[in-house]
Amino acid sequence: MSQVQQLKAGERVFNGLLLLFSAGVFYEAFQISGFESLNSPGAFPIMISLIMLLTMISILWGQRHHPKPDTHGAFDEARQFLHEHFPLTIVVFSAMAIGYLALLQPLGFIIATALFLFVSQVYLRRGRFLASAIITVAATAIIYALFKLLFQVYLP
Amino acid sequence: MGDTISYFLMAWTDPSLLMLTAIGTLAGIYVGAIPGLSVTMATSILISFTFAWDVNDALALIVGVYCGGVYGGSRTAIMLNIPGAPSAVATSFDGYPLAQQGEAGRAIGLSTVMSVIGGLIGTIVLASIAPFLSDMALEFAPRDYFLIAVLGLLLVGSLAAESLSRGIFAAALGAVIGLVGLDPVTADQRFTMGSMQLMGGIHYVVVMIGMFGVAEAFFQLHQLNAVPVRQKVDKIIPSFKLVLKYLPLSIRTSIIGVVVGALPGTGGDIASLFAYDHAKRTVKNPSKPFGQGAYEGLVAPETANNAAVGGAYVPMLTLGMPGDAVTAIIIGALVIHGLNPGPMLMIQTPHIFWFTVGNLVLANIFLLIFGLTGIKIFAKVVELPKAILIPLILVLCVVGSYSLNSSMTEVYWMLGFGLLGYFMKIFRFQMGPVILGVILGPLMDTTYRQAMSSVGDNGSAFLLDLVTHPLSIILTTTVVLLLLSNTPLKRMIKRRNKTA
Repeated sequence: MSQVQQLKAGERVFNGLLLLFSAGVFYEAFQISGFESLNSPGAFPIMISLIMLLTMISILWGQRHHPKPDTHGAFDEARQFLHEHFPLTIVVFSAMAIGYLALLQPLGFIIATALFLFVSQVYLRRGRFLASAIITVAATAIIYALFKLLFQVYLP
Repeated sequence: MGDTISYFLMAWTDPSLLMLTAIGTLAGIYVGAIPGLSVTMATSILISFTFAWDVNDALALIVGVYCGGVYGGSRTAIMLNIPGAPSAVATSFDGYPLAQQGEAGRAIGLSTVMSVIGGLIGTIVLASIAPFLSDMALEFAPRDYFLIAVLGLLLVGSLAAESLSRGIFAAALGAVIGLVGLDPVTADQRFTMGSMQLMGGIHYVVVMIGMFGVAEAFFQLHQLNAVPVRQKVDKIIPSFKLVLKYLPLSIRTSIIGVVVGALPGTGGDIASLFAYDHAKRTVKNPSKPFGQGAYEGLVAPETANNAAVGGAYVPMLTLGMPGDAVTAIIIGALVIHGLNPGPMLMIQTPHIFWFTVGNLVLANIFLLIFGLTGIKIFAKVVELPKAILIPLILVLCVVGSYSLNSSMTEVYWMLGFGLLGYFMKIFRFQMGPVILGVILGPLMDTTYRQAMSSVGDNGSAFLLDLVTHPLSIILTTTVVLLLLSNTPLKRMIKRRNKTA
């Protein structure tokens, strides 16, 4: 059973968004075939979306007595949320990951992967250019051989 | 009898079959362990280039990959908290805490031995009571399948999450994801929002890679500078005393695994959760609290998911019904090779049955050898600095999701689910119920509608059916009891009993 614990910064907003999402899912489920019959294509989706809605309401209801996060107002809570869960390392690495996906098709798998592995390792390890370069070459070669040649998997 | 023994020993005495089983098992361990690769994917690929092979060669390789892969999934569950397969979700509950406490070597060693024990018990049951179990499975009605799936989701919801509401919400979210696409009966669009790309549905592997792989990789970035836990790999082979201590539990959970595995549609994923739940409820004094590195929490799912392999073969070889996704692919392989999976298989080609039984035993022996000898190399990989490992995990996740349909769409979906998983992890929602929901959602939808059709869309008759058929009564009662045991009602009854 859940213990009464302090809410995290942004938790109420996230759960509220999940409640809205559940309502959206219910609306979409209803759009499939309405309450046509108990055996319609939308019957089970409606059931599932109702379960989502009810459990989310139950979660929010259960949290009403939980201690709030130690913040002063919505702006401070948002600042604390970003500070705790989206530090600079995560933001930069995410940008690199998105860049990697964007470059996969223009540059091809080998070059894009090698570039991503090298740049991200240099950033995360704060330097170590030579070691990162060696690991990048070895890792790219192994991944290519394993997937392309051995498993015959299509690569981007 | 002589024929049976010769069929059984076929893979043991033929050097090429012996070699193929060994290669398959070793490859399966690493396929199961590498994030982004799954046994299902590997067997699908194997079929594509083994259809021209001799049927025995192809089956030997596939059996090896299947056994190795189910076990291999537990390695990443223990070392990285990334279950290689849904059947290893329960393994991560206690396996990962053990690795964090520096007991990864012993945890993997014990899980290897227990996997082999489970695998062998599963095979013995397959060989001895297959006809009996298949007869039982024949009696199952769609409502029973529906109830089993409900039970599976409730179990994973109550076990993995900090509250049942959170677990059920996550499972329902997974089910919605699993339902995206065209309705299999009427082709109505469900949750597609008019998008052509969503009409084909969202592959569960994409969700799994995103939520377990990407979300975990991003979470690990928080501990980038933390001193890595040095994995103890000096005590790989568990002591005989330790194995003996957990033998009674492993036998019990193997039986659970083989029975659940034999139910069509339910495989090692549900079996391992049932087994974990059994251990949690029956073991009074675990080595450590469950969820914090209890050996019992490792032994139970590991024996059950490997025992489920033998169980999954029962309906496949005797009824032509898949026990899980992999056996569904193996059915395809048998058909490609001109065989007729189903009741006639054992009559027309009995050698296939006994060859498979012998092959499963052999694969388990190889599993023991490779499982206990390959740990040091694997542990070295895990000891890599996170700054090296995290970008590599992301690349593997990209490759794994791209290879599903050779499309970047899956990659972007995977990244999206990774982001959702990251947020859900922050706010204490577990990923296990979501994945199980994705897999079981469509099964529940189909069986619910079949059950409803069988009573002429009459809701009262449907509910009556749940409490008037012997098997349905048992399943309904279990579902209700499980729900009640997670509500304040149980605490109230306990309090009242104490007061009385």
